Amino acid sequence: MSTMPAAVAVNTFREAVRDRVLYNLIFFALMMIGAAILVGQISIGVERLVIVNLGLSAISIFGIIMAIFIGVGLVYKEMEKRTLYSLLAKPIRRWEFLVGKFAGLLLTLVVNTALMTLGLAAALFYVSRSFERSDVGILTAVYFILLELALITALALFFSCFSSPMLSTLYTLGIYVAGVFAPDIKGVSEYSQSPALASLARFVYYLLPNFHNFNVIAAAAHGETIPFALVWHNTLYAALYVIVILLAASAVFSGRNLK
Amino acid sequence: MSTHTLKITSQVRAVALALVAIPILFVAIAAVQARIDALSGSVTQQKEELLLRSGPMLEKLSLGYGPLLADIYWTRAVQYFGNHMERRSHSFELLAPLLDIATTLDPKLVIAYRFGAVFLAERPPGGAGRPDFAVDLVKKGIASNRDVWQLNYDLGLLYYMRLKDYRKASEAFLDGSKNPAAPAELMKIMAARVAENGESLETSRLVWAELYNSTKDESVRQRALFHVQALDAQMALKKLNDNSEEYWKKFGRFPTSIQELRDAGLVQGDLKDPAGYPYVMGPNGVPQLDPHSPVPVELNQQKP
Repeated sequence: MSTMPAAVAVNTFREAVRDRVLYNLIFFALMMIGAAILVGQISIGVERLVIVNLGLSAISIFGIIMAIFIGVGLVYKEMEKRTLYSLLAKPIRRWEFLVGKFAGLLLTLVVNTALMTLGLAAALFYVSRSFERSDVGILTAVYFILLELALITALALFFSCFSSPMLSTLYTLGIYVAGVFAPDIKGVSEYSQSPALASLARFVYYLLPNFHNFNVIAAAAHGETIPFALVWHNTLYAALYVIVILLAASAVFSGRNLK
Repeated sequence: MSTHTLKITSQVRAVALALVAIPILFVAIAAVQARIDALSGSVTQQKEELLLRSGPMLEKLSLGYGPLLADIYWTRAVQYFGNHMERRSHSFELLAPLLDIATTLDPKLVIAYRFGAVFLAERPPGGAGRPDFAVDLVKKGIASNRDVWQLNYDLGLLYYMRLKDYRKASEAFLDGSKNPAAPAELMKIMAARVAENGESLETSRLVWAELYNSTKDESVRQRALFHVQALDAQMALKKLNDNSEEYWKKFGRFPTSIQELRDAGLVQGDLKDPAGYPYVMGPNGVPQLDPHSPVPVELNQQKP
């Protein structure tokens, strides 16, 4: 296996760090410190719940914003700056370049998420002075957020292969919102009296990336155990979907005339 | 082989791989998704909650997109109701708040008041069994939609059918009759009849028949028709019972068939229920529906 994707990934990560992408962590840290201090003053008995809900939601929102806004420029920016041409002149295949870009942004998101998780853990420790066994659920929720971010990154990268950043953002956001509402689409297929509409809704339900799968924030906040089977099925789902999107992106990108 | 040919071959290979692999992978994704649906059912069901229950707060947060958010909440209320009914659940805890939010975000969403009231008022598992909440919802609707006489009619129905409060039902019908668009005559007749003799079958039939004529929704129409048919059958059976007692007074015994009543000149013609089945005589001269008749007489014998 070529080491090219790894080299592209490391460079993508370095570029993100150079672009001060990780500065969002300062905002996150300030928010968690503020919440940890305030929550004790304004709520009774739900301090942990509020901190976990707020922390996980912030990790997810910050991650999604980064995945979309950086993801949509991954390929486009290289073309705009014409650095792509010198890169592709080297012995690197186009799909390797895409995989490298994807892995680089994912690595950035993993580092960012890991640091935010540490911030959440610190805030949690501040409000309750201890960790509980059920807090493992929070790590599962963070892992699911990462799976979600991997899917969003792949989608943004896919659109970046043939569209402008502005449109790619719209497309990715559109698919993300539709994917969050996947259970409602399934509801249409179950309760519709029209067989044609029911079939169409079922088809769309299975076709769209189901982002609802990865939302276990409420369960984690309530200290519920998330079944292991769900963890690995979600992992498998995200992996398969990412492969599909990267395959499609490779097909589109290979067909592009870059002259 | 030239560089150009190599490049084309590579492109064709990438597209061919995508065309072959993507459909196969999607089949695998659908299978995994089905398994996730089964696994996550317990997790998500436990987490069915409504974090923000304040309609005015949501209205502010909607940044002017209140009506759109109202549509989403109304859809959510319908799905919540459908899911719980499907599971034959007796708990519809979030139904009233969902409807309240939807109608606060869009006070003109008449359908949410009208159907929401039905969802709330129906007895479990067909509904939340909370006619009091339904009354509050419809009153809220009337306050924001003075021109929609159907809401006054619905309020009258709720008082009449569910709460058996004939005075308030009559007032609601009368209020509705003042609306220029309402069928004033009929509403006044209903108001008078409900006030005078709320419990009579004839009054009940009048109310259901009006619902049958005025509604555009097929399921409501069917339900109203069932009630009208059941009431027709009940009235016919009541009349036959009177004939049977008259027969007893005349002959010192109860009739054993409808034909005996006919022979005695107490009834005439072909006596059939609304479904076309002939009435039959039960033990002790009590007339009954044919056992095969689909007419649901018990519909009108349920307690609210």
